[in-house]
Amino acid sequence: MNERNNAVDRSLLVFAVWAAIGSIGLLLIIEGFQQDVYWIALTGIGCIISTFCAHIIVNAVYGTGFSTGETALGLTSFGVLVLVFVLSVLAGGASATDFYIGLTLFGTLIVGFLTYLLTRHGLRGAFSKFHVSVGHDVSVPNGKG
Amino acid sequence: MPAPSPVMWILLFGFVYIAVVLFWARQAATANGNYQSYFSAGHSLSPWVSALVLAGSSVSAWFTLGSADILARDGFVHGYLLQAGVLLALPGVLFFKRSWFIAQRYRVSSQAELFKLYYDSQALVVIVACVALLFAVGFAGMQLRAISQIASSVSGGSISAFTIGCALSLILLGYVVIGGMRAIGFLGVLQTVSLISATLVLSFLILVEAGLIGAINARMQALAADSVGAQAFEVSGVIQFVAGLGRGSFYDHPVSAVTNLSSAYALLGIGLSPFALKIVLSTRNTKAIAAGQTWVLAGFFGLLVLLPVGVIGAAGLGRAEFISHSYLAALAQSSPWLTAWVVLGFAAGMQVMAGLALLVAAETVVRHVYKPFFASAMSRRQTVTLTRIFVAVLAVVVVLMAFLAPVSTSALGAFALSASAQLLIPMLGLCWFGWMTRPAVLAGVGFGLFAAFVTDALGIGILGYLGLDVPWGRYPWTIHSAAWGLFFNILVCLLVSAISQNAARTEFRQHLRAFVSEALSGQGTAPLNSYAWAAGLAWGFLAVGPGLIFGNYAFVSDGGWSMDFPSLWVWAMLFWLLGVTLVWLLAYRMQMASHVDLDITSYEPPPTLRPDQSAAEARRLRSLIIFALAGAGLIILTVWSFGGAG
Repeated sequence: MNERNNAVDRSLLVFAVWAAIGSIGLLLIIEGFQQDVYWIALTGIGCIISTFCAHIIVNAVYGTGFSTGETALGLTSFGVLVLVFVLSVLAGGASATDFYIGLTLFGTLIVGFLTYLLTRHGLRGAFSKFHVSVGHDVSVPNGKG
Repeated sequence: MPAPSPVMWILLFGFVYIAVVLFWARQAATANGNYQSYFSAGHSLSPWVSALVLAGSSVSAWFTLGSADILARDGFVHGYLLQAGVLLALPGVLFFKRSWFIAQRYRVSSQAELFKLYYDSQALVVIVACVALLFAVGFAGMQLRAISQIASSVSGGSISAFTIGCALSLILLGYVVIGGMRAIGFLGVLQTVSLISATLVLSFLILVEAGLIGAINARMQALAADSVGAQAFEVSGVIQFVAGLGRGSFYDHPVSAVTNLSSAYALLGIGLSPFALKIVLSTRNTKAIAAGQTWVLAGFFGLLVLLPVGVIGAAGLGRAEFISHSYLAALAQSSPWLTAWVVLGFAAGMQVMAGLALLVAAETVVRHVYKPFFASAMSRRQTVTLTRIFVAVLAVVVVLMAFLAPVSTSALGAFALSASAQLLIPMLGLCWFGWMTRPAVLAGVGFGLFAAFVTDALGIGILGYLGLDVPWGRYPWTIHSAAWGLFFNILVCLLVSAISQNAARTEFRQHLRAFVSEALSGQGTAPLNSYAWAAGLAWGFLAVGPGLIFGNYAFVSDGGWSMDFPSLWVWAMLFWLLGVTLVWLLAYRMQMASHVDLDITSYEPPPTLRPDQSAAEARRLRSLIIFALAGAGLIILTVWSFGGAG
């Protein structure tokens, strides 16, 4: 029951953090694109980074990492945003400010993500998250290796 | 690049909101086991959830948008609104901890049950049910209509307010019916943070648009230079002995210092309401009562109302384009996403209170009135099912009342606060003063409710419609109906208590009081008590009482404002700070709300036989129907004979 309560509390906090700050960040980025003003979008990116940090703090408080669903949602959203941005640049609908906003956003997200992996898992562990070792699927004779 | 239509963004955010609501409702239903812990989440809500939801439902969209509009209309004369955080926290500090302990010991989960248990009075249960219904239909309906109208104007009228109201009610109905109290707790957190964000964003946008605080202050100073405009920055005396609103004229304006004090009593009604108690009693422990009341409600929300909401109100003073709904409608043209998101935040802020009020009203009526009187054999599953049906019925009534009878809804909503404030006396008797007897409390509440009713718009309107034209208006002598009610409530309670002391000490009540004394022994220190209570009285006198008159001129020099801000606003900031200190003193230093780690064993009542009640219940139901029909006939006859002529 206690574990279940903790899991619910953590999810609630994560939702609350994204609802309170993350959503404002997203809106400010849209506002920045719309008004073609870099600093508005930069404030939004700041909000997104703050939310990301708050999410990590919540994870630390409850002694967990990102859940599978959160990782999937995050990566999918990132992929979709990159796709939309690239398509709009290729279609010629983006101004120079829009271009810089996009670069800042995606650059920050990638650097933030890598920093998170490095600080949580270390250099070797972070690499192992992506590197699929064939040896894991090979049975080792005599229990050695 | 042209901005897309606001309607698209309203729909987009609306669908995201619905998805989130359904997700958490499902989580709650799973944890509830469908009906087992539907009413009070198995008393397992996390303390921080409880603190946040309590603050969110106490403040709700009414305090943020509503207070801003009142400030923009009348100026800074409503000191009680600026002290809302502290005032809303005070009942919690006084009553929540003790109520929680009693509820845990005797395994009850609502205010109605507490009163039934302690006073053994079904009449008090019915009164609690009526108060809960007033909040659900009146207070929530009033907010529903206001938010729906704002959303409709933001959409440029392409979605009608009624449609939006129906959609919001449907969402509300969905999660209350599916997840009960647990869903209300879970979603309450998200709704509260959305309300906070929406308020901060709106305040920031208006602040920037209005030329920052310097420009707002300069405009207010220009307004204050004019004798009529100056009325917005001065409380109109201590008291005015006039017949009341709608009857004769006032000196300057009708908001006196005593109006503030008496309205502050009405605000206490929110903390004393059945829905506030419901959250507390559904919580796992008392860990967050002190922190919730001191830092979340008095501290954070107090500051939110004082500054961001104050800024929205100040900007709108004399500048109609900065009144929240006008500003949002204009903003929708340039930033539809921001506008839609802000409106959704306020809608969520309305739902945090409305959902709770709906559940508590339905539970009280079904579980504590209908079941014991007419269907005591109902199983828990049947009770939950009937409550769900009643929630649905109430949701429909709320929408219909809000849009078909807005004046009546507003009157009901306003009276909800005054009526709930009358529960102060039963709560004092339950938690603190064992000498308050059952007949005294009952008589006090009865007289109090009557006095509040006949001095409020609702009572005056109903009596006028029935042909009884009372010689006073709303809030006679500029005193709010809540204070009139409390005056008679306390007076009658004291008198009847003095002559009915033999009824005070039943065995069960002594047992309960002994438990409270034992559980909370060593709480509070005598030398501090007198200082704390003196500080409390001084704060009440100066912050919202007659001393508020000093605030008119405290920060004025050479005909101008010595700190650039209106004197009453600075006065409010000063007393907010002192108010938070006061709440902290009471909650922590006097340990009135601080956490006590205690293993509470449930009270086992002596076993009694439960005779078959079905025949008596059927008889009661028949009597109720006959009484209702006779009452309705009598009212129709009276209206036909005397009333309705205008």
